[in-house]
Amino acid sequence: MSIVSPTPGLRTRPVTRFEPPSLRNIRPLRELARLTQFFDLLKTLSIHRVKVRYKRSRLGILWALLHPLSMMLVFALMFSFIRGAPAQEVPYAVFAYAGLLLWSAFSSGLSSAATALTSHAALVTKVAFPREILPVTYVVAALTDLAIASTALVGMMFWFHVPLTILTLWSVVAVALLALFLVAAGLIVSAVQVRHRDVGLAMPVVLQMWMFATPVLYPLSAARRGLPAALYGLYIANPMAGIVDAFRRSVVLHQHPDSAALAVSALGILVLLPASYIYFKHAERTMADVV
Amino acid sequence: MTPIDVRIDRLGKQYRLGVRRNAGSFWALKEVTFDVPRGTSVGVIGRNGAGKSTLLKVLAGITAPTSGSVTIDGRLAALIEVGSGFHPELTGRENVFLSASILGMRRDEIAAKLPTIVEFAGVERFIDTPVKWYSSGMYVRLGFSIAAHLEPDVLLVDEVLAVGDAEFQVKCLTRIRDLKRQGITTIFISHDLTAVEQLCDTAVLLDKGEVMMIGEPAHVVSEYHRRMTTAATETAEFASIAREGALKITGLTFGGDPSGLQALSARTGDPLVVSVRYAAARQLDPVVFEITYYSSDGKTTIATARTDQGGGVRVLPPGGIIEFVCDPFLLKRGAYYVGVVVREAVTRHVIDWWDGGTNLFVEAGTEVNGQFYMPHTWRVTHAGETTPSRPRVIPNAE
Repeated sequence: MSIVSPTPGLRTRPVTRFEPPSLRNIRPLRELARLTQFFDLLKTLSIHRVKVRYKRSRLGILWALLHPLSMMLVFALMFSFIRGAPAQEVPYAVFAYAGLLLWSAFSSGLSSAATALTSHAALVTKVAFPREILPVTYVVAALTDLAIASTALVGMMFWFHVPLTILTLWSVVAVALLALFLVAAGLIVSAVQVRHRDVGLAMPVVLQMWMFATPVLYPLSAARRGLPAALYGLYIANPMAGIVDAFRRSVVLHQHPDSAALAVSALGILVLLPASYIYFKHAERTMADVV
Repeated sequence: MTPIDVRIDRLGKQYRLGVRRNAGSFWALKEVTFDVPRGTSVGVIGRNGAGKSTLLKVLAGITAPTSGSVTIDGRLAALIEVGSGFHPELTGRENVFLSASILGMRRDEIAAKLPTIVEFAGVERFIDTPVKWYSSGMYVRLGFSIAAHLEPDVLLVDEVLAVGDAEFQVKCLTRIRDLKRQGITTIFISHDLTAVEQLCDTAVLLDKGEVMMIGEPAHVVSEYHRRMTTAATETAEFASIAREGALKITGLTFGGDPSGLQALSARTGDPLVVSVRYAAARQLDPVVFEITYYSSDGKTTIATARTDQGGGVRVLPPGGIIEFVCDPFLLKRGAYYVGVVVREAVTRHVIDWWDGGTNLFVEAGTEVNGQFYMPHTWRVTHAGETTPSRPRVIPNAE
């Protein structure tokens, strides 16, 4: 769909033209302009998503904390028994939690975004609205969980006397990149899932392998030491590597992020985001026929 | 010159029949072309599978065309299955905001219209109750009310007139007339031919994805009926599937002349003879023949007639004809779908059935303002003196 003249006000008449789908007649900027009109829907649905997720559960919003916390406990206990925890200047519990915090936001955000369209088939086949709103609401919900779960990180840092420094501000960059990467990946997997349900089925396995290919439980420096140079280049091509490393270094290790890894992440995401949006808008035009 | 609000140009929509690449495909819409000038209303009619819903989905922007184009001048709102954007756990109020924002309204616009929407739907007392506790009527009324207060430039309406109770339907029709008066362009997609005739300036007849006729609603509706009955004659002989082979229905005709070409039409209030021809391999005793009249979409049973008085009938080889005499025939003007079933009278076991897509078109004879014609007589009492009427329809001539 293309909007020939966008709507600046309410009572002007927009002219809309529907044509056979082709990559050539996608107007991403006009689609984004149209999306701004649906900001209220994005807000309403995102709030709804957060509210409904923990409705009817006893522990409610505590689950946002429990998920990364329990994973942290498992790994901290495991390494305390088998004595192999990477030596760090902070307790391993804090080290691991800082990584798991971002990783669980990514993994829950991506796996729920994957089914965003297929679980709203009734809406997708009956109402015309910018469908990218659906995966994006799951990203917003995952980031809300991240905000809640980060209170536990602050608590642990207080308990273990790890101070916050000015370097913590780098975490804003890391979380912003995480959000953009989640949106891009969410757009792609949700659109592919409409035609190939394999995506949702493969998601748990893929995410598990992806976690071990990301410096969540070990530092990025370990990967650099352990991998041949060519393989390390491939390793940091994973945008999550730079993001997780930057967050943990700046918040709990009081170091500047690894600039190479962070730059590769940022660059990759900046290319991926517009590409994923164009792909999604193209797939959107006929997804009501197959969902 | 009146501006054109909706311009449909050689529109085509192709669907795949399966997920595999070689699964084949069919065109749900082919070269559909027509314009809707500003402020007018167009009704799109056609039997099931004619492409009405596909057309609506393309116009609403739910799915893209395969060929051709649609140009819409103005803000468009589509009423497709009202309430489909509702979430059961949320309250009526929250759902109004959710649903209206999906339809493209801003939060402040919705807030301003909320009282009107709620009052129109008549759910004031329940607006803070989760909609999962709503009755289906309340659900539908709230859904329609939201869409009816969007104030679009172009309104697409799909079968919503079939929802709600009679009182609410009147309200809906009034609201649609108001919107028309305000100069809103409307497109109706409907089975309800009466509504199309009442509300529309132009009607479009779709058949197998192609535009067959565009013109005055009354003419197009007649053409629709003519096509329905023609199609029925073509198929009337095909679909009897014998279960046991002992008895087979071989024909279904109307009008009392089972040998000749059937007249597939009747008139309300006139007598009608419905003949069922059958072939029997052996004697069956007793069996019950049952004729069912469905609405033209096959969804609703309108009336049945069966030969069960006296425990059923006996059939003998090689076969014969069962005539159902309806005098008067009571169904009102419109198209009906007719099926026949033969059962064993005692076990109710089905021996054979006829489901050959036979359509009966009932023409307007006696005027009916309701669901069917009610045979009646009347008398006038004046100053203690009673004058009996002549029965308007002569009861069974025997």
